[in-house]
Amino acid sequence: MVKKVIMKIAFGLYNSKNYIDTKKFFYNILENTNYPYKKFIDIFLITLIIFSVGEAVYSIRHTVPQWLHIFDFYMISMIFAIEYMLRLWIHSDIHKTIIKEYEKAQFLKAPLSVKELFAKILHEKWNYIKSPTAIVDLIAIMPLYRELRILRIFKLLRYTKSLNQFIDVFKTKKFELMTLFLLLMFLIGTSGIAIYVAEGNINKNINSLFDAIYWALISVATVGYGDIAPVTTIGRIISMIIIVTGLVLIAFATSVIVSAFLEKLVEIKDNRIIESINKEDSFVIICGYGQMTKMLLRQNNFNNKYVVIEKDPEITKQITKEGFIAITDDASRYDVLSKFNVHHANVSVLCLGSNDVENIYITLNAKSLSGGIRVIARASDEFMKKKFALAGADHIIIPNQMANIMLLTSINQPIVYNVMHALLTGKNAAYLDEIRILSHDKLIGKTVNSIGFKNKKLLLIGIHKADSNEFIFNPVESTILEHNDILLIMGLKISVEYFVNIFQRGLK
Amino acid sequence: MKNKKRAWIFGYSKQSKAISNSLIADNFIVIIIESNKKHFEDALADGYINSILIDVTEDLELEKLAIEEKDWIICAMEDEHLNVFLTLSLHSFCAKNEIIAISHSIYATKKLKMAGADRVIDIYEVSANRVHNIFEKPIATKLLENFISTNHEISFKEFVIAKKSFLDGKAIEDVDFDKFGVIFIGMVDKELGDEFIFAATNINHKLDSGDIIICIGKDNDLLRFKDYLDGDAV
Repeated sequence: MVKKVIMKIAFGLYNSKNYIDTKKFFYNILENTNYPYKKFIDIFLITLIIFSVGEAVYSIRHTVPQWLHIFDFYMISMIFAIEYMLRLWIHSDIHKTIIKEYEKAQFLKAPLSVKELFAKILHEKWNYIKSPTAIVDLIAIMPLYRELRILRIFKLLRYTKSLNQFIDVFKTKKFELMTLFLLLMFLIGTSGIAIYVAEGNINKNINSLFDAIYWALISVATVGYGDIAPVTTIGRIISMIIIVTGLVLIAFATSVIVSAFLEKLVEIKDNRIIESINKEDSFVIICGYGQMTKMLLRQNNFNNKYVVIEKDPEITKQITKEGFIAITDDASRYDVLSKFNVHHANVSVLCLGSNDVENIYITLNAKSLSGGIRVIARASDEFMKKKFALAGADHIIIPNQMANIMLLTSINQPIVYNVMHALLTGKNAAYLDEIRILSHDKLIGKTVNSIGFKNKKLLLIGIHKADSNEFIFNPVESTILEHNDILLIMGLKISVEYFVNIFQRGLK
Repeated sequence: MKNKKRAWIFGYSKQSKAISNSLIADNFIVIIIESNKKHFEDALADGYINSILIDVTEDLELEKLAIEEKDWIICAMEDEHLNVFLTLSLHSFCAKNEIIAISHSIYATKKLKMAGADRVIDIYEVSANRVHNIFEKPIATKLLENFISTNHEISFKEFVIAKKSFLDGKAIEDVDFDKFGVIFIGMVDKELGDEFIFAATNINHKLDSGDIIICIGKDNDLLRFKDYLDGDAV
């Protein structure tokens, strides 16, 4: 009977769109760092923490109004409790566990054990409860003692991501730190007992084993308050031994932690870069740093909304020094690209490395992550182009082929080469620009003839008509300009800018 | 055979392979010069029977090649330093030849120009700009792609004005290019030197025989225009 009810509820939740949407919503606002509205919840909770701690500190020497105290005691604690419950809820799906266990039982034709099921569910939730961030959250709920309320300040760490990174660092050196910790405990324990035995009856400041252990810790840490000091020769010898050993141990522990941080520092830095770029609505991921990337970034820095992913840490180091935004990683790995906010932002991936195999792999990787990612890939030759097209690349660039055409042009039509070179490299001599006609432009409704491009020192090369989505080369003079048409204009840069400001926008 | 243009390509790599193929397709005689035995053998294997293996750092050997004044020289050595060095050597005793150098980096481009290359083609410059244009000027990119792809509809063409052509002696303003469906982009007025004059500067020039005009248009319109130009000429 109980089993039946449980199964019914589990399947009911599994099929309920409302339940899934609600859970997803709470997941987004609490845990999904890429979710744009999460930051508001974070700011709200941070404000509450600061308020609560501030109130606790202020109330030590001042009287605070009763309502403020009640607000702090009940309201904030309640909000934190709700937050805690929600986080516990979204941590895992109980109904999925139930269904999985049920299906397993069905398959094995064994009876479903409710006891085992509960143990499994509890185990999953326990994994969350025992995580450091959850413990900090739990402490923050308890408002009973003012002293404990001050601990709420630790909850701030959860919103800065530093806590997790800090914990990660400790995790990587778990073995070393654990060994050191045990050694320290052993040292404090034995020397505490030793001093207790040696001076417990003589030293008036050592009244219990606790006093002796306290003294040992203060000495090992080289703090030495001086409230308890050895009075016998044996006591002093013990002191000398534990101070020297303590120094060594602490130095050792410090070096372990520092080296762990240094190892992790690069990763932390890279994650920071990814986080900051993920906040943008649109950004560019450039895979591989070579001559082409160098050249591109000289021409276009994408308003600093880009990140270079380079495999070689030495190159990353070098270009970071030069001021480029770069991280060390392998862009062909799925988890690397999936760190980026590819679902909410407008992302372009540029595969500019010289290795075709890698570029194709990155293209496929990006496209498998989200079809919405625009991929611009570099291919080595025409044969490769087909493969890139199959992989789904939106634009394929063959540097060799382009250089080739430029070379042939330079031999056969040297003057054309100069013009083309200027156009293709965006040099001043002949500047090709496009002007989109906006809804309030002075140009709307006018004919090509009446604008008189020639007098304005411009050549109208063509118009991309918005209604037919077609490009008309050298349009006839009676062509009428409409909203959202794009004019393709050639002229000196200053002429184009002047035209945009004066004639199009009507700034004069 | 006599009228065939001749191009000397220094260095045989994947890049120069493509270049030599297109030059041959364009009716050039291509001679490959290599200093690396393996690359030289590659060239022979690819059918470039008139490939020559020499030490390109030796001026004497370069002189022996007997490069004629009207020949084209393409410096495309894989090694950047060697390419600059070679450009410099060739410039010293083939001063009248057109030297085109292929560059793989911004720094090499500068050095090759200083070494005396008449034109330096930076492999990545044009490509990088294309990526830039994809983001900034999508419509212009489509047009520009036309110019740099092999199967284009719209392209550039330069025309040399022949004696007694219908353009000879006319002012630019009086020529109706629209009639031919082409757009006049600019010209080289031989009276004023070899400088390219962009049409948008609006200075009215008189066309004379020997001047070069550049037009952009659909391929068949350009051909029609050329036929018209040639048809009138003597």
